[in-house]
Amino acid sequence: MKEERLPATNENGYYEIRLESIGGLGANLCGKMIGELGLRYMGHNSAGFSSYGSEKSGTPVKAYIRLCSWEKEIHVHSPVIHPHLLAVFHEALLEKGNALEGISRDTIVLVNSEKREDELRGHYALCTDHVYCVPAQQIAMECGARINMIMFGGICRLMGLRDCQKADAVCQDTLGKKYAAALKKNLEGIHRGFYEVQEQMEGTVQKDNDNHGIEKESIDTNEDVRATKSLPGGAIPWIGNSVVNDLSPSRQGYFPLFLPERCIQCARCDATCPDMVFQFQEGTYKGKTMMINKGLDYYHCKGCMRCVTICPVNALVAAKESEYPDKPYFIPNQEMLQRPAYYDACGMDGYITSESFLTEKRVDGGEL
Amino acid sequence: MEKQTIEYASGNEMAVFAVKQIGYDLMGYYPITPSTQIAEGLDALRAEGKTDLCMIPAEGEHSAAGICYGAAAGGGRVFNATSANGLLYAMEQLPVQSGTRIPMVMNVVCRTVSGPLSIKGDHSDLMYLLSAGWPILFANTAQQVYDFNIIALKLAERVQLPVVVAYDGFFTSHQKKRCYRFESEMTVQQFVGKKQWSRSLFDFANPISIGAYMDSADIMQNRYELHSAMEQVRRELPEISASYEELSGRGCPAVETYGAKAAKVLLLFLGSSYETAKEAVDAQNRKGTPCGILTVHCLRPFPAEELAAACRDAGTILVADRQDSYGAGGGAFSIEVRAALQRYGILASVYNIVYGLGGQDLFPEDIQKLFERVLQEGRSQSGDPYHSGTPKRKLHEGAPAGDLGYYGICEGADQKEEILKPYFAPLLPETTRIGVTRVQEENGRLIVNSASLNDSVRMPKRLAPGHGACPGCGIVVNLNLLLRAIEDPVVLLFQTGCAMIVTTPYPKTCFKVPYIHNLFQNGAATLSGLAEMCYRKQKKGELPPGDIVFVMVTGDGGMDIGMGCALATAIRGHRLLIFEYDNGGYMNTGYQLSYATPKGAKSATSHVGKEQYGKSFFQKDMAQIMAATGIPYVATVAESHPADFIKKAAKAAWYAKNEGTAYIKALSACPLNWNDNPEHEEKVIEAAVNSCYFPLYEIERGKTTLSVLPDKINKKIPILEFFSMMGRTSHLTQPQYAALVNTIQAEIDQRYDRIKVRAGESGVQQEKVDA
Repeated sequence: MKEERLPATNENGYYEIRLESIGGLGANLCGKMIGELGLRYMGHNSAGFSSYGSEKSGTPVKAYIRLCSWEKEIHVHSPVIHPHLLAVFHEALLEKGNALEGISRDTIVLVNSEKREDELRGHYALCTDHVYCVPAQQIAMECGARINMIMFGGICRLMGLRDCQKADAVCQDTLGKKYAAALKKNLEGIHRGFYEVQEQMEGTVQKDNDNHGIEKESIDTNEDVRATKSLPGGAIPWIGNSVVNDLSPSRQGYFPLFLPERCIQCARCDATCPDMVFQFQEGTYKGKTMMINKGLDYYHCKGCMRCVTICPVNALVAAKESEYPDKPYFIPNQEMLQRPAYYDACGMDGYITSESFLTEKRVDGGEL
Repeated sequence: MEKQTIEYASGNEMAVFAVKQIGYDLMGYYPITPSTQIAEGLDALRAEGKTDLCMIPAEGEHSAAGICYGAAAGGGRVFNATSANGLLYAMEQLPVQSGTRIPMVMNVVCRTVSGPLSIKGDHSDLMYLLSAGWPILFANTAQQVYDFNIIALKLAERVQLPVVVAYDGFFTSHQKKRCYRFESEMTVQQFVGKKQWSRSLFDFANPISIGAYMDSADIMQNRYELHSAMEQVRRELPEISASYEELSGRGCPAVETYGAKAAKVLLLFLGSSYETAKEAVDAQNRKGTPCGILTVHCLRPFPAEELAAACRDAGTILVADRQDSYGAGGGAFSIEVRAALQRYGILASVYNIVYGLGGQDLFPEDIQKLFERVLQEGRSQSGDPYHSGTPKRKLHEGAPAGDLGYYGICEGADQKEEILKPYFAPLLPETTRIGVTRVQEENGRLIVNSASLNDSVRMPKRLAPGHGACPGCGIVVNLNLLLRAIEDPVVLLFQTGCAMIVTTPYPKTCFKVPYIHNLFQNGAATLSGLAEMCYRKQKKGELPPGDIVFVMVTGDGGMDIGMGCALATAIRGHRLLIFEYDNGGYMNTGYQLSYATPKGAKSATSHVGKEQYGKSFFQKDMAQIMAATGIPYVATVAESHPADFIKKAAKAAWYAKNEGTAYIKALSACPLNWNDNPEHEEKVIEAAVNSCYFPLYEIERGKTTLSVLPDKINKKIPILEFFSMMGRTSHLTQPQYAALVNTIQAEIDQRYDRIKVRAGESGVQQEKVDA
């Protein structure tokens, strides 16, 4: 096989890609397909892996791919810190966390976003000259493809492929046998991603690379993960400090909306809730003293909707996150001695990440 | 050279290829991360009829090793794979197998040994194995995993010893790389040849006895023969490696080096780090530093001579240990290297450093730093790091000479101020004794006065929010129902499992009450010790009197591997409560089958395919097994019947305080792996009750009482109705599984009828329970 030219390589001879994603968006599979593409269709040697951890929806996931010349062996086992190509599978990842870690002016960044490149630059500190935006979620809705396939199409173009043939072939290898029905839609998704990027690349020549005042040359890599010292042997004295975890990104586009006027105080919602979300206080209901449901701590609601199903009087109903950016009857956990500093800021904002799941359905048999 | 195919595959995937192509007879296994993918991959092939490997899922690694021992003694080709504490749990069996000279191959996918639990990779498990009498090959790459597995079997059968192929968890086991495998299985099978086996246990004309008792002279002789077989590996391995190299172009050298010829500075690594280090060496060599790296592929027998020869020109050597033999002045690897060099009179200055524990990443930059560090040490100790000579070492107090300690320690607790404080007030006895759920003994019967669900909301929750369970997970629902019924102070012990992982991700904890974790072979025993210590201290007046309820929380997986321990605890009758959340699988590790998984259900180790319908045996009836120990209280509970749940939990706590062991089992929903919708879990659980898959009953002081009689209230549904609600069993609705479903239905009915018979007339007059 004729070896295609890699767009760039680092001092060790690798072309490096990093995918920043959220569990459920399929970055793991996308990474595998990029690796296969390099090895089987582009004449490169390739290697790849994902961050190992929870497969739960909403958990950050990173995938790393290295490509190099066919003759070279790939020795490195560590994560990609300074990628040539960074693909961000969800715009919300730009907001917090370390998705942009290690990028410089030369890094090519592909973002799943409905914003235009200049709009995106207005929002985030993108210290690179090369930003491409693909509205992958919107395309996914239109053609029934998975978001990862649209991103894969865009990545293929940015890796220097001139057409979709090779990308199609990898998709066929991967989905063909097991998910034959999904193949056609996903091929369309790949093409849409590919040509969306192509159009933006063609427009690049005229584009003025004004960074909107963001001066940074590069974004530093975070310091090493630090260890925490506690009691001998790692015993934890900080009662219930798990409460600082923001679980709202686990929600998948809907949340339980509370309609207290319907509530009969049966408390079945509290019994069925796995996340201790419901806040009851003593009060009166129909003249009787009892525990009264005052509201929900949406900060810990993962949107499982158990309470909506179990409520006998529809006092809890499924509502679209985006229609209620401010959740009515949001009550922070009452037993807390103190609130984490960022509690109020992001406590209810699950929809930023969870919206994308509206069109995402887990395909039977695992992550697609 | 034989024809080979390119694969983009991980180490575990390459192990699967090797096992399939060799055509092993049997694999006895117990899933443990990161080795589990091997069993999963092989089961998937089995389901499609691509291998006829007999796979036996043991209830723990100790038994898995036993299964393998028996099968290998039966003369077949046998394979196993394990990691970390699984290896340690199997350990007792391993010298038995080498001492009785029964060959097989086991893959050890290296992972750090608990406790504090962690799944990531280092060599702390493997190094416990050095004295087990098993030859150990260490594969650094996914390619070598494949190659060494094929070489290992031939070696094992040649020297009549079981052989280990070890490789790095995650780095090698999970990272995908370009690999080559033989196109034809015939190539592999011809290379390993037909198994020669003379010690048959199936030959009734010439019966033999394996494993007789021996005294010292014979033990000496036996060990000497084992020693000699290990020495024989030194001769056989190069030969087998050479013939494999003819076929593949790749071999298994005992020692491998990289970098400058006659390197003056050498860094020694085991496993994937050696590969990573190649990048750094290239950079150093480009700068003109005469340095190189070295690895050992054969840890047992240790290739001291080859190692010494390769270190001949070095002035300074740094041995990097991904493990510590605490107090020995380094890890096992560096100690062995030092011994080998001393044996052959190599005079280089040798340093050791511990790195990469718990899977801490090693970047090429780190290796540069190690080079610089050791060059600096070399300069300060002997003046010239490039040349050997008598190092000017001072005798000094502190660490042993040459011990550079740990690389990569970075404490920085101050950055996490937000986390490092308590967020809740402790739950003191008076906080939880709210008088909502009361238990009294009247005429030898326990009467529970429990109020409405609304009243029980007053009970402060023992767990803080913020745990990482999947949306809709049943575990915490069940835990909250259990604990709201117990008004006395509780001390919790969680066995390893989902509940443990999601509630205590260091440095965070969900618990507002005292909590301890132990591995799931041993939770019940640990809690019996803990409880007895409390009771003793109370008796002696060292602790204030007052009721305390000791609660062990386990999954159904913990009740597989830890069943013997739990039964023994129950038989001893310690005053404690065992609570099992049964989600029917090893969900924490990606849903492998447990003994509680329904028959026919698909899982990562019971795939559905043309040759396999899912899990092959019935779900374990743990409540009845527990009842047979004669403990005062056994009950089954379901979230669909919360009032019944709370009553039983209160009773169980009373027995645990006053009489002995109590056991409660809840069927616990797992939306992720049951593959159903989290919002409907309560209905799924209700269907399990109504189908009598999970009958609700209690056995109080030997007397069985059914809590719900679906057949008497016209609610009984066929088992298929319950199965059709979950993706893991919905395939059973297809017509080809009708006969299978009938046998399952018959078993379910029979189990239910048996409980009804035990309950008798009086026991089936159910009290009013939840609608």
